[in-house]
Amino acid sequence: MAVRKIEVRERVMARNNEIASDVRARLVAHGVTAINLVSSPGAGKTTLLEKTLAALGEEMDIAVITGDVQTQNDADRLAAHTSRVVTAVVTGGACHLDALQVLTAMDEIELERTQLLFIENVGNLVCPANWDLGEKEMVVLFAVTEGEDKPLKYPKMFQNARRVVMTKVDLLPHVPFDMDRAVANALSINPKLSVFRVSALTGEGLDSWYDFLRQSARQVTPG
Amino acid sequence: MGTPLPASRTGSAMHEMSVAMEIARIAEVKLGSTAPQLVAVAVDVGDDAGVEPSSLEFCLEAVFATPPFVGAKPVILRCAGDVLRVAYLEIDDGSPED
Repeated sequence: MAVRKIEVRERVMARNNEIASDVRARLVAHGVTAINLVSSPGAGKTTLLEKTLAALGEEMDIAVITGDVQTQNDADRLAAHTSRVVTAVVTGGACHLDALQVLTAMDEIELERTQLLFIENVGNLVCPANWDLGEKEMVVLFAVTEGEDKPLKYPKMFQNARRVVMTKVDLLPHVPFDMDRAVANALSINPKLSVFRVSALTGEGLDSWYDFLRQSARQVTPG
Repeated sequence: MGTPLPASRTGSAMHEMSVAMEIARIAEVKLGSTAPQLVAVAVDVGDDAGVEPSSLEFCLEAVFATPPFVGAKPVILRCAGDVLRVAYLEIDDGSPED
């Protein structure tokens, strides 16, 4: 048999990135700021979103796309706090959301009536870093119940993110977590990271998170 | 953007499996409708690509064992950086040996 070699040199993520560009263009055209929330499972993405919807839901039009491996529990929890669309994407085993899932989910969202779109990714610090969803920026949550070395163990996520939200700070008196070391680790991976310190339980630090969201939503103007 | 992926190809699987399925899609597009027999598929996998090479190899074997493929051999080419791309395909185009 005559075996012939065909050079390909095509990036595996090329198609996802192409779809992500479409998503980004549509969002910008409608003046929607999209934020991709990532973290390990249990860092508090859904709880932070619940608080955020409760606090800002009146003044801003906020839509949410949630990704979960199984169940639509997160979407149900968030739907209790807003009349705006909450769309669940059950990935059925996949460890991340991809741009096509976001593009499909966007069909259910009235973009004209949306200022802020949260994409709550699957709880996982590895895979979501590789999949561009077309968001304006990625925000990584880091709970004080985790190890201070998380940024060193999962550098790509912290490299790609622009903000890190330290969550559950109300637990600091009860856990042997060195906040300064954790933040230093995160900044050693990505010096441009800005850091929030919040407790969704007590409300500590949430005001600066809300201010960031307000500011972020204002920066996108419809094209 | 191109035509939407069929439901079976939208990444409803673990990470390496969705990567493997995307590689199969790229191979299908590259081979076109003539569908010559694919013998091997080589993938550059960077150390920081977020992909476990042995796991990807396993998934590629599974994906390329299903039609329209007939058991193409995966070749994993380790490299530095976060590269993840299909390097080349080897096909048997049925023409007689030189």
